[in-house]
Amino acid sequence: MSGGRRQLIRLAGLALVLAAWEAAFRLGLLSPIIFGSPSLIVRAAASDGWTFLLAFRVTMFEIALAILIAWTLGIAFGVVAGSLPVVARISAPVLSALIAVPLVVLYPVLIAWLGLGAASKVVFGVVSGIFPIALNAMVGVQGIDRGYARMAAAMGANRRQIMFQVMAPLALPAIIAGLRLGTALIVIGVVLSEMLGSTDGIGFWISYHRALFNTGQVYLGILLALLVAGLANAALSLIERSYARRTVDQSVM
Amino acid sequence: MTARELIAVEGVDKTYGSGAQAMTALEGVSFSVREGEFITLVGPSGCGKSTLLQILAGLVPASTGRVAIDGAPVTGPSPDKVGVMFQDAWLLPWKTAIENVEFPLALRKVKAAERRQRALPLLELVGLASFAERYPDELSGGMRQRVAIARCLVQEPRVLLMDEPFAALDEQTRTRMGNELLQIWEKSGGTVVFVTHGLTEAIYLADTVFVMGTRPGRIIERIAVPLPRPRTIDMIGSEAFGRLRNRIWHLIAEVRT
Repeated sequence: MSGGRRQLIRLAGLALVLAAWEAAFRLGLLSPIIFGSPSLIVRAAASDGWTFLLAFRVTMFEIALAILIAWTLGIAFGVVAGSLPVVARISAPVLSALIAVPLVVLYPVLIAWLGLGAASKVVFGVVSGIFPIALNAMVGVQGIDRGYARMAAAMGANRRQIMFQVMAPLALPAIIAGLRLGTALIVIGVVLSEMLGSTDGIGFWISYHRALFNTGQVYLGILLALLVAGLANAALSLIERSYARRTVDQSVM
Repeated sequence: MTARELIAVEGVDKTYGSGAQAMTALEGVSFSVREGEFITLVGPSGCGKSTLLQILAGLVPASTGRVAIDGAPVTGPSPDKVGVMFQDAWLLPWKTAIENVEFPLALRKVKAAERRQRALPLLELVGLASFAERYPDELSGGMRQRVAIARCLVQEPRVLLMDEPFAALDEQTRTRMGNELLQIWEKSGGTVVFVTHGLTEAIYLADTVFVMGTRPGRIIERIAVPLPRPRTIDMIGSEAFGRLRNRIWHLIAEVRT
């Protein structure tokens, strides 16, 4: 089957589901407040589209900033800790524990410190995602054969060069696995924190309209949140594809 | 020959751990290597020959004793003077063959054009010019070790330290690589310290064989190889070669019992 035809069948399937949804709503089979309908979402987009678009921009900005910080600090810490056995031994249980903690309990404190604006969302996003990123990078680097480090040292590489020009690229598959997990948690963290207490963003408008039983607007917000997650994931896949080639280990054996 | 002394090792001990758990890897190792000499260190596993090589490379500090290369004490790796090779090539898998050869230069921030200019002739020297743009996983084990040789030579070191570089290769490839190494050595006039557990390889390559014993690791005999150069495969079957081989074999066997 050609790619074009498959795409067509997918679209037809989607249209069918939407049509069935709309039909069920029109026939009074679905409660408009609980399930909404495609036409309600379209109407919501017509009336509140601009607000949601601005909110989308706010959320994307917060997520982008949180990703930038969490990726940089998480990878840097993980690669350094993974290269230093003592630091790795101390960090591993701490990072694992931090991943298991329901970090959302921190959010009220973050609001008290940083206010309802973007800062508390960005920080909560970073805190949500950084630990699996750091842990994966650390474990990844620890798993690389020390022979590479010894070889690089013999060639005159200093510690920083060994860590970031040799060990980190070799650990890339593990690092990317951590980024996948961490980035999903960042997106969740930012949207969730917007829903819990904020003045703007997709999450804020979802909460706001839910309180007013504006189901169409709620669903529009959910769709946009899905779009945010989809964009983050697509960006990651792009990076993965450009770096994932030839990171497999090879040996003479 | 009156070439001057390039490597000087005096009274080197190496102990790992401390107290009751202390393990002596090397004890009282002293020897010297003249400029342009090809020496092999041969001995059973556990005789500390790899440890000794890493001490010479500056990768591991000696517990006591003195190690100097070209008059300067060894305190850490000095890639401009010393090239090191291991059993595994440790090529970076995301870099092509030529990029791997350039890597030591890239670490020192040498410009890309100059790197290429210096790396290409060395790939030619090891017979891999047409594989310059291939990745390590597209090369055979012997080819990867050839790339590693080229990478060693790119910084124009005066000493090559080789830790069983051909041990993981099949016998035919190993013999061929040995011959190629000898040709490169004769052309470049460097000094080579070559660690191996293969007696034939040790004799075939060397001007001087240092035989090492275990528990603790030490040098038990220094044997000059009287075979003429260039070496040929036929020499391995000669009577003189056989006698040398037997002598080393007995030395190692006696120490082990």
